[in-house]
Amino acid sequence: MLPVSAIIMLLVGIIVIYGSLAYFLFIAFRKKKNG
Amino acid sequence: MSQKEHWNSRLAFIMAAVGSAIGLGNVWRFPYICYANGGGAFLLPFFIALFTAGIPLLILEFTIGHWSQKPPPAAFKEMNEKWEWTGWWASCIPFLVSIYYVVIMAWCFAYMIYAINLRWGTNTESFFLHTFLRVTEGPLEFGGMSIPVILGLIAIWTMIFLVLYKGVERIGKVVLLTVPLPTILLLILTIRGMTLPGAIDGISYYLTPDFSALKNVNVWLAAYAQVFFSIGVAQGIMITYASYLKKTSDINNNAIITALADAGTSFFAGFTVFSVIGYLAASQGVGIDQLGIAGPFLVFVTYPTAISLLPAAAAIFGILFYIALLTFGIDSAFSMIEPLTAGINHRFKITKEKITAILCFVGFVLSLFFTAGNGLYLLQLMDHFVANFGLVAVGLVECILIGWFGPLHGLKNYANKTSEVHIGNWWLVLIKFIIPSVLILLLALSIIENIIHPYMDYPWFVLILVGVIPLVTIILLSILVMKRSQKEIV
Repeated sequence: MLPVSAIIMLLVGIIVIYGSLAYFLFIAFRKKKNG
Repeated sequence: MSQKEHWNSRLAFIMAAVGSAIGLGNVWRFPYICYANGGGAFLLPFFIALFTAGIPLLILEFTIGHWSQKPPPAAFKEMNEKWEWTGWWASCIPFLVSIYYVVIMAWCFAYMIYAINLRWGTNTESFFLHTFLRVTEGPLEFGGMSIPVILGLIAIWTMIFLVLYKGVERIGKVVLLTVPLPTILLLILTIRGMTLPGAIDGISYYLTPDFSALKNVNVWLAAYAQVFFSIGVAQGIMITYASYLKKTSDINNNAIITALADAGTSFFAGFTVFSVIGYLAASQGVGIDQLGIAGPFLVFVTYPTAISLLPAAAAIFGILFYIALLTFGIDSAFSMIEPLTAGINHRFKITKEKITAILCFVGFVLSLFFTAGNGLYLLQLMDHFVANFGLVAVGLVECILIGWFGPLHGLKNYANKTSEVHIGNWWLVLIKFIIPSVLILLLALSIIENIIHPYMDYPWFVLILVGVIPLVTIILLSILVMKRSQKEIV
């Protein structure tokens, strides 16, 4: 079993990186702009 | 002409930029750097470095390309007549990197084939060093050339040529395959890795935080260096790619997405690497410290050992792993040639087909130097100098020129005009003060470290010949090309 501190860092990593990525992707594809 | 070319879609541009940023380093550098610098605690300086250096620099380079609609030499020239050399310098650096980067990809290509029957056997280190590379005793002893590596080089350089010679539209189509494919493969490999005994112990090594490491300034510098090297800035690549954007397209959000996708892949690759390392450590009854967990040793010694020990479908696991590395690497590799191709195409009016063929051939010939028995030594030596001095110096000059003497305010306003996410004055502070300060510190520490402890204790003339001369030569060549341009105008 992973130590609690490692699980917390795992969650921090997921939230900061993938959460931010999802947010900015949402902004990008909500507004239709040409590449 | 390259300026007339445009990406097929926004997705194609993002994929190309992400594909360029994500490379072998995401797999074999980040997980180790994280583990060696406080485990999970390293994520804190990493995130700070990402948001205070990686993203701002990427915004700067995207803006320069988007605004000028020209490759780096012409883009810098547009800001100031005397800056053209900086663009040539920045464009030559990735070409220099490609010469040895493609060699590593050729190794991956050969190992993908070897994985079919696990040809590396039980002594993977001996196979890699002696059977495959035929490594000699030191950098001065040439030894014989490795035929499998040469065949791999022919395959990879041909692939690069076929992608690049048709221009940016083909790049846009190819990256739609080469970016998602390795990510999916990494996911499959991680799921398999996590089901192995000992995998959780490996992940525990990777993520258990040691917060006392945050008091160490070197950990913070390692975070900035990791972000800087990983994201693909200071190589003219992002300027070139952004020059193919349409004038109406977004800048800031594209940069944020690219940087986060790169960081996300690095973070995820840690699970792929450490789950298998944990399994290997458990299988062999050794500590993780005793295994090669970074660089070529991770990929060509430690990983093959673990693959051989897998209870089922070892060959499939191995093939998928090397295909993932190859596809991660290929879009980085062709992005390394594009700035120089675009620059020469624009400046000397040589067709893209012709200049791509010439550069790929020259690149192939120069890559042959790394196929001899001393190739591994030379490759690591050149990489050490290019990364620690070449890239950092280009980034520093870029920030100082544009931040202090260039149209930084104008670029900020320009970026905000077409972007979904706006940047404030904090961006100016980062480009003018914070990022150059960190880069000066990194450069100064590297110089001091290399003077006190010469790289691997190699003789000075070897360090100068392989490390310093190529870097100095490209600076001189860049200045020479600029002087010729100025003379022609007069």
